[in-house]
Amino acid sequence: MARLVRTEAVVEGRVEQRYTVVEDDITPEYDLDRPPGVVGRPATRVTARSRVTGAATFTTDVRLPGMLEARVLRSPHANARVAALDLDAARAVEGVRCVLGPADASTLGETPALSDHPEFAGAAVAAVAADSGAAAEAALAALAPVFEELGFVTDLDSALARQEFIEEPSESERGDVAAALAAAEVVIESEFDAPAQMHNALESHCAVADWRADGLTVWTSTQSIYQAREQLATMFELDPERVRVICQFMGGGFGAKFGLGAEGVLATELSRRSRRPVRLVFSRRDENRAAGYRTPARISFSIGADAAGRLQAIEASAVMGLGTGGWAYPILEPAKALYACPNVHAMVLPVKQNLGPAAAFRAPGVMEGTWALEQALDEVAERVGLDPLELRRRNHADTDPGTGRPYTSKRLLESYDRAAELAGWDSRESLRGQGRVRRGMGCASQYWWGGGGPPAYAEVRIGAAARPVVTVGLQDLGTGVQTACAIVAAERLGVAVDEISVRAGDTALAGHGPFSGGSMTLASIAPAVRSAGHHVRTQLLDLAAEMFEISATDLTLEEGEIRSVDGALRHPITEVTSKLGNAWVTGSGSRAPNPEGMAVNTFGCQIATVAVDTATGVVRVERVVAVHDVGRIVNPMGARSQVVGGILQGLGFALMEERVIDPTTGTMVNAGLEDYKIPTLADLPEIVCEFVGQADPHLGLGIKGLGEPPVIPTAAAIGNAIAHAVGVRLRAAPYTPRRMLEALA
Amino acid sequence: MSRLWTYERVGNAARAEQLLAGGGRALGGGTDLLTQLDRGIGDTETVVDLRGLGLDGIVVEDGRLRLGATARIADVARHAEVAALFGLLAECAGSIGSQQLREMGTVAGNLCQQPRCWYFRHPDLRCWLRGGDTCYAQIGDHRKHGLEPGDCISVAPSDLAAGLLALGAEVETNRRSMPLAELYRRPSEDDRSTLTLEPGEYVTQATVPRPADKSAYVRVGERAAWSFALAGVAAARFGDEHRLAAIGVANVPRLLDPADPLAGLPGLEMTAWKRRLLSTLVDDAVAAIAAD
Repeated sequence: MARLVRTEAVVEGRVEQRYTVVEDDITPEYDLDRPPGVVGRPATRVTARSRVTGAATFTTDVRLPGMLEARVLRSPHANARVAALDLDAARAVEGVRCVLGPADASTLGETPALSDHPEFAGAAVAAVAADSGAAAEAALAALAPVFEELGFVTDLDSALARQEFIEEPSESERGDVAAALAAAEVVIESEFDAPAQMHNALESHCAVADWRADGLTVWTSTQSIYQAREQLATMFELDPERVRVICQFMGGGFGAKFGLGAEGVLATELSRRSRRPVRLVFSRRDENRAAGYRTPARISFSIGADAAGRLQAIEASAVMGLGTGGWAYPILEPAKALYACPNVHAMVLPVKQNLGPAAAFRAPGVMEGTWALEQALDEVAERVGLDPLELRRRNHADTDPGTGRPYTSKRLLESYDRAAELAGWDSRESLRGQGRVRRGMGCASQYWWGGGGPPAYAEVRIGAAARPVVTVGLQDLGTGVQTACAIVAAERLGVAVDEISVRAGDTALAGHGPFSGGSMTLASIAPAVRSAGHHVRTQLLDLAAEMFEISATDLTLEEGEIRSVDGALRHPITEVTSKLGNAWVTGSGSRAPNPEGMAVNTFGCQIATVAVDTATGVVRVERVVAVHDVGRIVNPMGARSQVVGGILQGLGFALMEERVIDPTTGTMVNAGLEDYKIPTLADLPEIVCEFVGQADPHLGLGIKGLGEPPVIPTAAAIGNAIAHAVGVRLRAAPYTPRRMLEALA
Repeated sequence: MSRLWTYERVGNAARAEQLLAGGGRALGGGTDLLTQLDRGIGDTETVVDLRGLGLDGIVVEDGRLRLGATARIADVARHAEVAALFGLLAECAGSIGSQQLREMGTVAGNLCQQPRCWYFRHPDLRCWLRGGDTCYAQIGDHRKHGLEPGDCISVAPSDLAAGLLALGAEVETNRRSMPLAELYRRPSEDDRSTLTLEPGEYVTQATVPRPADKSAYVRVGERAAWSFALAGVAAARFGDEHRLAAIGVANVPRLLDPADPLAGLPGLEMTAWKRRLLSTLVDDAVAAIAAD
């Protein structure tokens, strides 16, 4: 029976209250004494073949009859007013079907998709759709914009001095920090500058919109098809059921692709006006100027500890550069929640700048906040003369430090022990060497959410051929969640994973699913899939029981067969399903809420080994040991991929990634991949990856999320390893040869 | 930006010269030219593909090496005789870009590429080198730029040039032959070009007269692969003579004085760190070519 329940979910540090419909779940829990079959066994992606053969249709691959190409006019200035714009001239260009100026998009979206006051270099001013890209480019030229340039602010110091904020500055305190700092035996002061890291997903922001009399279809590279549908319905005053959003494959998003985005808004409006399908794909440069980044920040700490290294007080502040948008990502959450410190004061100043809007980026806030905090912790360890891992053990939080709530599960201490063992932590002092190349080893803890929650619905059906179809209302960001869904269903249906097809990425399909973010997709959807699979299993066994004249409770589904528990009866599943003809056996499932009054968090520890060439400044990360506590692992192969990808992204932040804004013009000078460097495979360290998590006893199927955790501690561990190697701590990332040589000079 | 150019794959030298003299731009692998045209740098009506001129030979003969203008970088990097006698060039070639870029890029294209300065290549700025008034780098962010003061502080990026310069290579065009160093020039107020090629002139081959007794190329990029060098030093020893050439430090590939390699390279506000780097690379390169 369906029930309406109120639930609380933590999404990237923000607590959301929502009502959700859940159905009673009759699915038995996994038998903890027995491995649950295919769950936990490595499986290749269900989409692997179509991806490598090119058969997979990404948004940029969509070609519709009569489709127009769209282009966007962007301001080259850091702050300007549009003094003149020749829309008529653009409309007169041959092949041009529609031209939108700032006034045409003023009602579309909270932040208008086009503006006559572009507040950053790269801000959209006008959009055109034409029969060809060349015609659209010609129309942009015909617009002949005249800009009146205005003063601008791009650096953090000036932005703070200007006192304009994207969100009001916020403060929180527990205990009495001033008194505790005054009484502390050891106090360290520490400041860090985090760079703006660009998402650079392989696939840039893109959308194809097809406005028709009977409804709107939008293909778009989005992390939340349902949110995109809702935005479209609201913005264009449409019945949500008449709006279809499709994202079957996407080339990454990393947090910058929630909902619709300007590309979806503009493509739809151009399609609505031209009555033709319209395709809009951002260039790499547009992507990097206008589609988000990890917020640069100046993070400062005063940390007080007693002589034994127990934290007494943390005074933390962060100036976050949000450009013209985004929100105050939980950058000081690690300072508040990672350790058992009785007195914590945190202040966040989210400043406005003449730069594109910030966006969530894989563990937004927490990654860069951890990068700073975990290095400050090493400074405390050094001052009190304590092993950095031991310092962390001594400050372990047994319950959530802010709320006192118990954790559903926490295996952080085990993570420390296992990571230390795998890394050879105890012999780290012998690594360093005396020559030009110095080696060091550093650790960092990982804290994040990732419990998932409702609403998440799934449908499973099986037909005559016994090839089950799992339908979920989510989109695969690239994490392999579809494969995990197939694995979870395969366990209930007793068929091989590759016999199952997973349908996702289309709001016209059954079931509403979670967005791809907050490391919550799999933890949300998996219980719903299993429940749906269980309903199908129950019905199949009932049918088999009738056919074979045996009690259904004596039957089981395994390895493509219906078997009696005593082994006497074995028939291929198809012997039952073939009787279905063209009918299906279907089942649906939903995600139940998480337990109330408990903290759901993921934890982990990474240890990095680096080699620093003190004469060239080149830092080479040689090895990263990653041990994470994320509950049950559904697909070890997919899980390892997440860890490898996260570590590479963290390594990029640490060693090479940094948006550079020209101080004179306020424009980004490294918006292309020639100048903005991301790690290559040649930069990849040896990665040792393990999970300490058994199933979380309080969560559906015991699964916690893994998308974000691996990126969180890497850069901090690298920073600590460098300090261990050369005795100098770099205050700003990335740790380029320039910064390294300047620090060593 | 998508727009249309006239493309012609020329089959003889006269046609190539005619089109280039008329403002056409030479295409080798296109890995640099297309990205320039995309950003409006050195705009042209005609793209002149030189790959049909039969200039793609890599020939080792009598201890002498001839590298054809349109020989592919990847072919230089994997050529057995080049590796055996002119290993320095195989090293330089192998350090360029990525495998994909090396498969497309050509010898002359690499030698003649334009500076990688992020202001020069900025689609919305017209810097001094592009004919404007301002060297944005000097008043802006020049952390990766040169060590030499001047009107333009961009750096020569060609790894191959470093190797060829150290080996004392000559470069031939359709009109003349000259030491490689003479292919390059510091841009001046009245001529912003970084090359000495005249209208209608194009590189046909580079020649190396003799192998070095020992050679080495050392460079540091921004990551382990697929990065222009922050600085690179090629070194070659001919008997007692040491020849050192550096890229990434000045407008032109620079022959360094082994006795005072940093001479004339004081460093700029944000590039002082590169002096340390260059000094290390010189030491490493010299150590690598020491007599056994």
